[in-house]
Amino acid sequence: MKPAGNIDAIKSARGGDSAEESLPLVSLENVSLGYDSTPVVKDVNLAIYPGSLIGLAGPNGSGKTTLFRTILGLLPPIGGTLSRNCPLSNFGYVPQSAALDPQFPLSASEVVEMGAYGRVRPYQFLPAMEKERVKEILHQIGLPQLAARSFFSLSGGQKQRMLIARALMVNPKIMILDEPLSGVDEESRRSIADLLTMLARERGLAIFFSSHDLEMVQRVADSIVRIDKGQIWLDERKARLRL
Amino acid sequence: MSTLFEIVNPSYLLFPALLGTMIMGLVCPLVGSFLVLRRTVFLGLTLPEIAAAGVAFTFWMQQAGLLPQMEQSERGVAMVGSLAFTFLGMGLLGYLEQRGKGLAEGRLAAAYAFAAALTILFMVFNPAGQIEVLNLLKGEVIALSKAELRLLVAVFGMVLVCMLLFRREFLLTSFDRDLAFLLKGRQVVWDILLYLLAGLIIAFGVIMAGPLLIFGFLVLPALAAKPLVSRMSSFLIVSSALGLVMAFLGFYSSVRLDLPLGPTDVTLGCCLIFLAYGLSRISKRMRPALLICVALWLSACGVKTAAPPVPEAKAIHAEQLWLARVKNSTALPLLLPSNNPLRSLAEMVGKVLPEDYRQSVMDLLRQNLQTELGQKGFQISLPEDKDARFPAFPADSAGATRIAREGKLSGMVFVTEIWRWEGETQKFVRALVDFKLVRIDDGAIVWERRVQRAIPTPSATNLGQASTDAIKAIVQDLFAG
Repeated sequence: MKPAGNIDAIKSARGGDSAEESLPLVSLENVSLGYDSTPVVKDVNLAIYPGSLIGLAGPNGSGKTTLFRTILGLLPPIGGTLSRNCPLSNFGYVPQSAALDPQFPLSASEVVEMGAYGRVRPYQFLPAMEKERVKEILHQIGLPQLAARSFFSLSGGQKQRMLIARALMVNPKIMILDEPLSGVDEESRRSIADLLTMLARERGLAIFFSSHDLEMVQRVADSIVRIDKGQIWLDERKARLRL
Repeated sequence: MSTLFEIVNPSYLLFPALLGTMIMGLVCPLVGSFLVLRRTVFLGLTLPEIAAAGVAFTFWMQQAGLLPQMEQSERGVAMVGSLAFTFLGMGLLGYLEQRGKGLAEGRLAAAYAFAAALTILFMVFNPAGQIEVLNLLKGEVIALSKAELRLLVAVFGMVLVCMLLFRREFLLTSFDRDLAFLLKGRQVVWDILLYLLAGLIIAFGVIMAGPLLIFGFLVLPALAAKPLVSRMSSFLIVSSALGLVMAFLGFYSSVRLDLPLGPTDVTLGCCLIFLAYGLSRISKRMRPALLICVALWLSACGVKTAAPPVPEAKAIHAEQLWLARVKNSTALPLLLPSNNPLRSLAEMVGKVLPEDYRQSVMDLLRQNLQTELGQKGFQISLPEDKDARFPAFPADSAGATRIAREGKLSGMVFVTEIWRWEGETQKFVRALVDFKLVRIDDGAIVWERRVQRAIPTPSATNLGQASTDAIKAIVQDLFAG
């Protein structure tokens, strides 16, 4: 392990021949992250390419969510250069399901439909095409039978998969998932991990997910980025294993 | 059921009030649903109180001559103050939300207390306008005019259209601000629009219906709908539908039982919440059965058993009838205005005391009763013709019998007691009057009727005429059945 340096090693598992694929979707150069000018993490150098499956491991409070929020434009970086080569509407974000308010009476399909809201004008009804796509994606994640169920009555794993379905409705190029494997049973972990691998391998999506469970990240991710005590670095043990 | 058919008739005097209440019941829950989901319910309580402070402030300023006298109606003037204070309050709360530290609930609670205190202080500064302000804040939706109804339709219609058009944006911004930002950019515009719409219905609603009813319509239907649905679209539809039910049943109960509309509606809204949580705890198969039971019970409550008219003299074998003076238990003189302008002049110069031979509601009611009882075949006698010391008889049969026996009367006595007689506007008179036909020998009540309702007086041009028309309507009702 080495402290923050270049993490350019994280490139597409598929190789990426075209000019577009050789460009990182997101790159951070010497970026400092934090709130109210107080940095939480300094000197972040990171580039995320299409098709890469990256795990971000670190203890609670180490700055994983802060890094994600900065990449998504929800928090301005304190310093350094952050560049995105696709619009924010191409980012599929999967928040922690516990961050969503269970007060809302929403069915699972209504939550998934939200991913299409960026393409629908205020006065339009949701087009039939989008409704079809919701069904299609629910089939892909293997939960079409739960479409009409109340979202907050689902199990932790089912909720996570529904939120992944919502992110897929955006038609993303990159997906950012905040702790998708925490608070779910072993079977759900396996199915979520398989789903993420399939999305990266077969559909060429860049997947960047976080977990405080290093062992879990090692099982799922192609590359691991470690974050702790204000520092971020590439875990070379995993890199060597993959080589 | 006659009351039900009466209030849904467009020619009914209070029909604009019914429509206005139902419009508020339809639209307010749509906005209130988002306040409930965003956990900003207290805003729905604080803003109406701020609007109320605005009303009191405007009246005080006008009274003090610091604001020009406007040609608008009282409600028009109040509307200006209500709108200005509501938007000022919202702006200030929004600024503190952005800049301030501490709990949002704490800020709202402090703002509520401050606004309530200011309302009272402004009213104390303006004792001359205290009654007008209090009446406006009570929100007499029952006195809604057609012009005010048109304004209500325009404002609430606009809010309804905005809520339907932008429902997805409001949902996304309320549920997941991060996703909303990724898909649609900065979301502050939707927050502002939602609070603007809330401010509009509150500012107008407070003047038309009072702070209590508006807060009730904003929050209670949404709270009642929540346990019944699992979809957002159903939530909005059911909230609005429950708002309509609350408005209609509340209005009906208010007219039927002569209760103030705001508290009646709010009580009904709370009952709906209990009913909804009860429904959510039983199986889906049982729900229709329970709803049918409730509907049947409500309709049974609504059935007005036809009250019998005053019986014919022959039917009760009592041609001789003592018609007692009408007892006034209202603590008000209930004097009718004089039609003679010379009398008014005489009163002014002190030649005539106002109490002298000025006809009262009691006198006029007794005259009307005498005529109608005569037509039923009764031989009418007046107790004071036998002995001038006879007082007015109470409606309590034991008391009436005692007085009659002490005065050595026999046969039957017809007693009337007025408990309430209010004509705040010339459009209707709120009355509570007891009528009884009592047999003196044994104190048995042969016939009785209580009239308790708001009596419409559409053709009256002043309060005196409103009382006269109300008396005619009551007597006609007593004898027609």
